[in-house]
Amino acid sequence: MTTTELLVERGAERRFESPIVQVAAARDGESFAALTADGDLILIPRDELRNAEAWTVVQPHDGGLCLAADCVANAYLTGGEDGRLVRTLPDGTMEILHEGRRWIECVASTPTHLAFSSGKVMELRQAEGTQTLKTLEHPSTVTGIVFDAKGKRLAASHYNGVSMWFVQAKVDTVRPLEWKGSHIGLAIHPAADALVTSMQENELHGWRLADSHNMRMSGYPKQVRSMSFTRNGRWLATSGADAVVLWPFFGGGPMGKAPTEIARLPGLFVSAVAANPKENIVAAGYEDGTVVLAEVSDNGADDGRVLPLCAGQVKARGVVNAVAFTPQGGAVIFGTEDGVVGAVDLSAAP
Amino acid sequence: MSEAHDTSRTGSVPVTVLTGFLGAGKTTLLNHILSAEHGRKYAVLVNEFGELGVDNDLVVDADEEVFETNNGCICCTVRGDLIRILGSLLRRRGRFDGIIVETTGLADPAPVAQTFFVDENLRDKAHLDAVVTVVDAFNVMQTLDESPEATNQLAFADVIILNKTDLAEEARRQEIVARIRKINAVAEIHEAQRGNVQLTDVLDRGGFDLKRALTTMPDFLENNEHSHEEGIVSISLSTKERLDQQRFNAWIGAILQEQGADILRSKGILHFEGSDERFAFQAVHMMADGDFIGPVREGESTESRLVFIGRNLNRPRLRRGFESCTVEGAPAV
Repeated sequence: MTTTELLVERGAERRFESPIVQVAAARDGESFAALTADGDLILIPRDELRNAEAWTVVQPHDGGLCLAADCVANAYLTGGEDGRLVRTLPDGTMEILHEGRRWIECVASTPTHLAFSSGKVMELRQAEGTQTLKTLEHPSTVTGIVFDAKGKRLAASHYNGVSMWFVQAKVDTVRPLEWKGSHIGLAIHPAADALVTSMQENELHGWRLADSHNMRMSGYPKQVRSMSFTRNGRWLATSGADAVVLWPFFGGGPMGKAPTEIARLPGLFVSAVAANPKENIVAAGYEDGTVVLAEVSDNGADDGRVLPLCAGQVKARGVVNAVAFTPQGGAVIFGTEDGVVGAVDLSAAP
Repeated sequence: MSEAHDTSRTGSVPVTVLTGFLGAGKTTLLNHILSAEHGRKYAVLVNEFGELGVDNDLVVDADEEVFETNNGCICCTVRGDLIRILGSLLRRRGRFDGIIVETTGLADPAPVAQTFFVDENLRDKAHLDAVVTVVDAFNVMQTLDESPEATNQLAFADVIILNKTDLAEEARRQEIVARIRKINAVAEIHEAQRGNVQLTDVLDRGGFDLKRALTTMPDFLENNEHSHEEGIVSISLSTKERLDQQRFNAWIGAILQEQGADILRSKGILHFEGSDERFAFQAVHMMADGDFIGPVREGESTESRLVFIGRNLNRPRLRRGFESCTVEGAPAV
């Protein structure tokens, strides 16, 4: 184990008062943001990645719940316990896009549209965020929102399944994907081959979108809080075990296939994952604050290289709650339950 | 009383579930609690938003969203909205000292209570302090005649607030208490008018502090009267012999697995062989947990007591089972 962590050599970190609930990179890759449970948003310019003192903090919410890159290439969208949906620009300028009585629990965007939910209702707006295009009702509270890669469809998870909608439809007809139980989050395959949800009971459920065929992925010792498809859609990386669990989405999988496990740290559970958008690499955060980059081989061999960015054994940082790459893949950011935000530059020579 | 308990629940936030029929006075009681000078902050989850007359910056609007978990328990329904909302609230440190969850009038208390057993994150950060059921002294008899839900709410309660006692005469009140006792022999009953309860009777009870409840009813064992409220009865078992922990766990596990749908609640204070500490046990239907709650003090009884509240309970069978868990009751090897 090296004593100088890559986080120190090629990045920076800073501790905040409140747990970090989500991290994201802006669409243009020029900045990062981290949202705290108290509702602060930490803004990190790409150029100041290694200079934690230059990171700025604004307070879009009283109680932060969700964060996503905005449609606008350099901005962020956040939702909070204060019932607000807020757009924040990299200079800290904030604009309230929506204000209601109920918590804003989920938000997602494409370059042309944004969607957010409060309770059972998901609202779709155009990129400017001022005009409501659709108000879509669900049978129970929405727990996750995703757009497909082309931005043509959006899906919301809730009790007993997922509702899929067309962004441009003149008449809103839902495509229901049903499976009994509480679905607590979702991910969509980059080529829209499949849609996967995490369930309350430590397992995943999925639907092949061509024919709504059901898939079950189980065997997790813990609830799966984080999922990410690799860039080519061959693998779905997840948290919930003491290794990154990779489900194959090729050759008929994941049905009847065993998952591959990489970056195993015996007894230490993976708590957050993010696939690199350009390379076959997954970033994984663990419960003790360790963050690694793990190579994913196309054939599913579990002998790929693992590069630690920081280690729980070297410094206690708390459970890693979120991790994200820039869209170009050259930098990574993570946030922990103990309020630590870390960012590492992967592109530049040290 | 509760000091020992606090130490075993360090950092865990107490949750009070407030149930009661429409018009029983839940909102009045809630307003009374929130406006009282107690120097403590409570987050309140309500269903009928806007009814609350008091300014409390931590009132959260929650829908009662119940789902059935696929964890092998046939009767295990939980509230996903609580998992989500409390999960978020509990992340922000030092915001409040306790949480109060108000349920709608007709709600079954089981899903709320079970939520705290089922979700790993909630189990780590919060605990069910007490189920408080408010009943209206003027209407309770009729409500019980007409509604099985009301009977369920009483059966589930750790604390029962008999509200609007100014509207019922002494004889009537005694009649009501007798009827409540047949359904739930262990809950504490407090009389109130316009919700004017002692806060200590309702909040921060130190979990299922059963010792008092169990010891204040010496004649309970001899009470063989059966209730006819939906067939719900309380059965209390006791033994002065030390219990074998393994054998007890196996027995209670089997009972709850088999009869968990009928057993609304079970609670007990137990003394195991090889330990000086008392063990507090509680279950909601099939979901059970327990904690060692501190040593027996001098002069205190080491009698183990266990109470079941539910339907279709076979008292002799439960008694034989419980007695077979004692060290003495062990079959010869």
